[in-house]
Amino acid sequence: MPFEEALKKLEGVVEAMESDDLPLETLLARYEEGARLVKICQEKLAEAEVKIQQLEKNAAGELKLKSFETSEE
Amino acid sequence: MSKPAKSQWNFGELFSPAEIRKVLSVSELTGNVRALLEKQIGTVWVSGEITNLRAQSSGHIYFTLKDAGAQLSCVLFSREKVAQRDLLADGQKVLLQGEVTVYETRGQYQLIVRDVELQGVGALQVAFEKLKQKLAAEGLFAAERKRALPKFPARIGLVTSPTGAAIRDVLHVIQRRNPALEIILAPARVQGQGAATEIAAAIRTLNEFGHLDLILVTRGGGSLEDLWAFNEEPVARAIFESAIPVVSAVGHEIDFTIADFVADVRAATPSVAAEIITENIFASRELVGDAMNLMQLRVRRRMRIETENFKSLASRLVRLHPRRKLDDSLQRLDDLQSGLLRGLKTAARSRNVALQNLAGRFLRAKPSQVLKARQEVLKQLEKRLNLLGPEQVLARGYSITTDAASGKVLRDSTKVKAGQKLKTRLAKGEVFSTAQP
Repeated sequence: MPFEEALKKLEGVVEAMESDDLPLETLLARYEEGARLVKICQEKLAEAEVKIQQLEKNAAGELKLKSFETSEE
Repeated sequence: MSKPAKSQWNFGELFSPAEIRKVLSVSELTGNVRALLEKQIGTVWVSGEITNLRAQSSGHIYFTLKDAGAQLSCVLFSREKVAQRDLLADGQKVLLQGEVTVYETRGQYQLIVRDVELQGVGALQVAFEKLKQKLAAEGLFAAERKRALPKFPARIGLVTSPTGAAIRDVLHVIQRRNPALEIILAPARVQGQGAATEIAAAIRTLNEFGHLDLILVTRGGGSLEDLWAFNEEPVARAIFESAIPVVSAVGHEIDFTIADFVADVRAATPSVAAEIITENIFASRELVGDAMNLMQLRVRRRMRIETENFKSLASRLVRLHPRRKLDDSLQRLDDLQSGLLRGLKTAARSRNVALQNLAGRFLRAKPSQVLKARQEVLKQLEKRLNLLGPEQVLARGYSITTDAASGKVLRDSTKVKAGQKLKTRLAKGEVFSTAQP
């Protein structure tokens, strides 16, 4: 599930849980679902390193990606 | 054969004979000069100030380039594609590229101008305003064609120098706020000759590559000249034509470039651009962090409410039990009983009060009480009587004179005989006297 979708669902779940009319069973089911979505989102957010690649065009006009080393001084 | 006489004006062999002289026509000579100049000097860069500028209806522009010590005739033909053509004016400092040649008709050497660079900050500002007006008129800055950036970009294109300060700033912010973001760098020089073309090409290459949520075109701070590439038309056109939304971040807060005006979003600095791009994902990081707490809070609150509900239900159940009903009846009986007693007591108390009133009146009506009242009245009367007695008058200094023998009060002096004995009563004591004749 893409991050955006998971986040949107999570927002929906949190919002729905604000209602006091929700049957208790449904509330608890929502909680389970929310906890699962939080885990998905956190996994997506936990990626450690920025991925950067350099795009180059060769003489033939073909596009090629090569790795780009960030020069950290 | 007579030998010619020598004259002092005879210079002998000083001049060559006519047949060995190489006589050139003006055209030939001029042609030679032209060939020499074109070969020896050829294409050059030359800087100076424009003066005596004449724009012909043919579209050719003639002017003189001068500095403190010399002048050079120049011509810019209408066929030359020179962007700065409209900006040429007297007094304008320029750097010209061209070929030195000779205009043979006039025997005048001149520079055929191929390219023009304006020099001086004033000139750049003029160029900036001109291009801005032109592109604005074409609708390149129109607000209605600005596109919103995707809320959660996953992959972005980056146009900047791979070694500049901008890329460091951008990567630093993205690393901190959304390390999951994928970056495709299309490197370009961001200042100097040809930078504009490279930037424009990089934007086009990224569009060709595709699959990008947005393109960030950026460079760090610098002088107006340093940032100039972002004020050039090729960059503006490439941004305008980009099918992918473009964020422009050039220089500092105060620097506004043409690229900024054309881009869908303008950011003040490279770092700010990176913050804008990662805005939503960064905010959602907080939301994801809070979501768990929020949900737990909701569940706990609900459990508390349910517990309250259960307790109140339980107590209602107790109230509905038959045993409880009997208790209620007994209590009601108690209430009634005590009410009755209270009523009786109140009634008795009010009777008692009435009785006491009657007794009081009865006592006041006894004969001894009547006698006492009468004596009181008598005393009052006696007091009033005293007020009318002679004592009060005597006390004020009057006196009463009587015949000492008879005690008759004397009221008329003519009726008193000489030698008659008189008695005068004062407030205190009496005086005896004898009437004089």
